[in-house]
Amino acid sequence: MIVPQIVFWVMAVIAVLGGLGVVLSRQPIRSVLSLVAVMLALSVIFLMLSAQFVFAVQVIVYAGAVMVLFLFVVALLGPTRERPTTRLRFQWGLGVLVALVFGGFVYALLQGIGFRAPDKTSLNAFGTVEQIASGLFTTYLYPFELTSILLLVAAVGAIYLSRGGRTASEVHRQEEEDQGA
Amino acid sequence: MPDYGQIAVGSGTLDARLVIGLAAVLFVLGAIGVLIRRNPIVILVCIELMLNAANLTLIAFAAQLHNLDGQLFALMVMTVAAAEAVVGLGILVDIFRVRDVDDIDELSELRG
Repeated sequence: MIVPQIVFWVMAVIAVLGGLGVVLSRQPIRSVLSLVAVMLALSVIFLMLSAQFVFAVQVIVYAGAVMVLFLFVVALLGPTRERPTTRLRFQWGLGVLVALVFGGFVYALLQGIGFRAPDKTSLNAFGTVEQIASGLFTTYLYPFELTSILLLVAAVGAIYLSRGGRTASEVHRQEEEDQGA
Repeated sequence: MPDYGQIAVGSGTLDARLVIGLAAVLFVLGAIGVLIRRNPIVILVCIELMLNAANLTLIAFAAQLHNLDGQLFALMVMTVAAAEAVVGLGILVDIFRVRDVDDIDELSELRG
């Protein structure tokens, strides 16, 4: 059967085009929407690789929630465009250099890669909610709890950053104005 | 010697090298974006792109090795990415409240 290859290539083309859109778009809103396309294409590949739960989380949490957060911020801050000139002109050359070096590494790696024999686990009940849960709540219980602490810290930090009232920099500017006057 | 790189997908197979190659292309695109773009929001978006590429390799190896650990790590990477996006966007909104920034190179006050 050739169907998996066809699905993979279609999704890979969508993902790479989306990635190009992320990097090359002039407007931030187009970058964000291109990233949504990349994430949806990748979620299909996740589903092909028998990761049903990760597929659902990718669509709901990532493409849904996180990207909506990005869209909110873009809409809140208004349209911003990059100016064509920059103080750091060497960035383009540096970026291309990094891309070439890393791409060469990956090419060499893929040429000489040797895959280990897979484990004996059956793929029939692979990646289901039950299997994910039993992995998360037994072997990886402590990392799981640490990620919940991380989320709590991030939530508290976000609330602190976006609270009302004067920010530290505003206070600083006010002090400077007072000194000037 | 059998080719262990073939992942069983439904009734067919998929070469793991293709999936890893796609992840590498996406990661390089994200890295280039972080290096050459100067809009802070776009830089955060490019970081998300790199994290997604890393997730793809984790899930590809989980399927190739028939080992669930890769998928669990991918879920944790998603959690970290969400936390990173929330804090990063919070900082950006806080900066934009004081002034407009369309070039991240303008934010160089911390330079000694």
